[in-house]
Amino acid sequence: MTSEAAAHNGHEELATPRGVIHDLLQIHLETGDGFWRAVTVFAILSVLGIVGFLLRLSDGFSDKAVWGYHAALFAFILTTAQAAPIVAIALRLTKAHWRRPISRAAELWTVVGLVGILLFIPMLWVLPGLEDGRRSLWFFDPGEVPRFSPHIWATLALIFLVIVGIVLLWVSALPDLATVRDNSSGWRQRLAKRMAWGWVGTSQQWNMLHHRIGALGALYFMMMVFVHFLISVDFVMALVPGWIDALFPATHAANALQAGTATVLLTMFCLRQFGGYKEYIGLDQFWSLGKLMFALSLLWFWFWFSSFIVLWYGRKPAEQAALELMMVGPYLWVFMTAFILNFVVPLFTMMWNPLRKSIWGPTLIATSVLIGTFFDRIRLYVAAYSVPGIGEQNVDKHELHLDAIPKANLPDMVDIFLIVGTISGAILIYILASRVFPIVNIWEQRELLLYRVHKRFHRAEVVVLGKPE
Amino acid sequence: MQEHTQLTQKEINRDLLSGVLGMPKWWLGLVTLLTLVFLAGVGAFGWMLNQGVGVTGLNRPAMWGFFMVNFVFWIGISHAGIMISAILRLSQAEWRRPVTRAAEVLTVFSLTAALMAAPLVHVGRPWRAVLWVFPYDFARGIWPNIRSPFIWDPSAVGTYLIASTLFVFVALLPDMAILRDRTQGLVSKTYGIMCLGWRGTPRQWKLQAVAGILLSALVLPVFVSVHSIVSWDFATQIGVEGWHSTIFAPYFIIGAIHSGVSAVVMVMALMVWLWKWDLYLTKDHFDAIGRLLIVVATTWFFFFFLEWVFALYTLEKPEIVLRELQVFQWPYIFLFIVFLMTAFFIPVPLWLFKNVRRSVKWMFWTTVLVNIGMWLERFLIISPSLLRKTPMTFNWGTYHPSIVEILMVAATFAWVGLGMLLFAKVFPLIPLFDIKEAMVVKDEIKIGRRTVPATIRE
Repeated sequence: MTSEAAAHNGHEELATPRGVIHDLLQIHLETGDGFWRAVTVFAILSVLGIVGFLLRLSDGFSDKAVWGYHAALFAFILTTAQAAPIVAIALRLTKAHWRRPISRAAELWTVVGLVGILLFIPMLWVLPGLEDGRRSLWFFDPGEVPRFSPHIWATLALIFLVIVGIVLLWVSALPDLATVRDNSSGWRQRLAKRMAWGWVGTSQQWNMLHHRIGALGALYFMMMVFVHFLISVDFVMALVPGWIDALFPATHAANALQAGTATVLLTMFCLRQFGGYKEYIGLDQFWSLGKLMFALSLLWFWFWFSSFIVLWYGRKPAEQAALELMMVGPYLWVFMTAFILNFVVPLFTMMWNPLRKSIWGPTLIATSVLIGTFFDRIRLYVAAYSVPGIGEQNVDKHELHLDAIPKANLPDMVDIFLIVGTISGAILIYILASRVFPIVNIWEQRELLLYRVHKRFHRAEVVVLGKPE
Repeated sequence: MQEHTQLTQKEINRDLLSGVLGMPKWWLGLVTLLTLVFLAGVGAFGWMLNQGVGVTGLNRPAMWGFFMVNFVFWIGISHAGIMISAILRLSQAEWRRPVTRAAEVLTVFSLTAALMAAPLVHVGRPWRAVLWVFPYDFARGIWPNIRSPFIWDPSAVGTYLIASTLFVFVALLPDMAILRDRTQGLVSKTYGIMCLGWRGTPRQWKLQAVAGILLSALVLPVFVSVHSIVSWDFATQIGVEGWHSTIFAPYFIIGAIHSGVSAVVMVMALMVWLWKWDLYLTKDHFDAIGRLLIVVATTWFFFFFLEWVFALYTLEKPEIVLRELQVFQWPYIFLFIVFLMTAFFIPVPLWLFKNVRRSVKWMFWTTVLVNIGMWLERFLIISPSLLRKTPMTFNWGTYHPSIVEILMVAATFAWVGLGMLLFAKVFPLIPLFDIKEAMVVKDEIKIGRRTVPATIRE
């Protein structure tokens, strides 16, 4: 339900800019017991992650197989939290009005990119240099390019992605930080004053804001695709000899769009149920985002099938071995789970409009997609990291193929600690950041009041939506 | 600046039916010219049937040439109709309204052009094509191989053709009823039969709207499957360097959308120039489709980049040799440069400028460039890959298209143009009912001292 609709349901104060500011600020500035309970639970669980991380470090970096679940976890954060801002960016680009109450919640996930960087650091030691003879995006034979090229470029790209994301979050929040500055006291006011960067809302500042949001959004999107490109090739595909899948970087990024949308859907549900934003996040948002997720779930299948049919039909031994490793061999059950949760469940549920047009339907399917994505990352990363080093095979680079399929690598207690702790840590950072940035965008919500009016049309009452230039 | 013109129903009928109820001066001349080009192609085809495929430039090892390039190109163009109609209809984009029908009709005629290019012409003996598609010898149990492209391509293209024709037909019903009421005699009766008794009752409108949405949703998977299957004709082969790539299906689809949407812009510009429909196809429409093209072209370029990166990533010698042939050897070096410049590096930077996007002339010429580039792209994928020496074949040659092939390619272009012109003489190219609906849901709201265009939603 948007603010005008709320006004029609007896919340008249939400139909005025002042009312919207007052209401949203009130929700933002009040920190209830529920919030602190959540912080405590997630903080305690995060400690498990730190313990797991330290235990994993004590195993050393020589055996990359033990780091498989860690790598999958890194990929999961990259695929979900770091892709969620794309929902805000794409919908702002298409000028969809229904995005307004959810755009900040989507952008706020950029702060979780910091967890991604932390997870990435040990992977730099786990991944061998190019001298092991594997293929790489940096081409040609060892000695012609620096042996750590994949490490250097992926690190730079990932750090740049996180920086761009956080700058985007900050720039788009400037007017709201100024609102907090002008309507709060204590540490919040001092922090907001510093962060609002002298925002007073002149025409020039608004023009700059719109241009910067557009440019930073486009940059973030391109960087995200680029990071997926680097990670998916140099940190997964290259580890499996003979696996050459030109579509895989695009698949990796497309999966991220699906999982990012699911992340935002689940966030919306939590904000609506527990955050006090029922008047702002309503059926419009769930219905529209549900349709998007349905389309992206179909895309998941098409991308997977496009790769599969070519590799399967080609009957090349190296490609058959790669398929066996990640699809029909030791990870068959993991692949089947991912396939069912990412494609079958969304297809056979979201095709029904009554389910799409509900709060619970898209939320449950989003949960299915997120779990499915995690399984998908496991079957790719854990499988790839369990393959023995390529250098040990001592064959010509263009004749590389997987000789023996390694057994399934099951998670140990350390992996469980890592998984629970990291996901909890990511949520903890997110909810703490929501105390600094108003999680429902106040200025976009106010702008909606200008563009949306109710009118009588013959005997019906209709909504008239203005088209921003 | 967004444009806002309010037109009455009478004005809409007068303007949009002018091509059907009247005869524009240029129409006959243009139809005659295109018919002559088409007939020249038919003549060339007859000559080929009489003399055999030896009159073409096809020879070992390059047995796929202009015909297959043309087939893939027209399948690509056919994606425009569904892209514009189905996706924009489902996403309720207002600017789709004057564009949808022309795009859908372009789909139908380009599909027939594709069918002409491959099954009819390329196979050499078209009368036998039917035997490859359908089971033909029940007595001896000889069945076609269902895994063969000869089954899958016609099945996919045929389904797509039927679905798109149905799509056009359902959207035509209200407009045919208008034509029935404005014509007399046999013509009126024919329109009366074709519009299935349309009276414009609330139930009929509801059914028509539901049918439109359902067809949009159902035709989308067909649209994706068609070009995917065409791409797998190439990608499932491991014996030809440059073809066995997993990226082919999405790469072909996005390339098809790139060239198809560009073709729609060309048709839009021609509609503005030939029928003077600038009140219906405004600068806003060109601007909107220009923005869409930037996104589509950039995505296409990303897939093109991936295709190349992974060709080099294999580090396989024959693959590298092929890429060197494509990029460094005459005449492919020239074609490759022209392809890249026209498909991406000239049009996309230009589209970033608002003045270019809002200029009919600029949009027309930049999209012409895109289609030149995209035709060459298909040529560069298909032809150089076949010019190789493999262990068990001893032919090593190049491919030169003959005049017979060039005439037949030209004929397919003439056929599509001719089809569009003939269609426009019988049915309105812009849906009247959609434009009238747009006028009803169009509104304005005041924001401070400015008036902003708005749309009524449920």
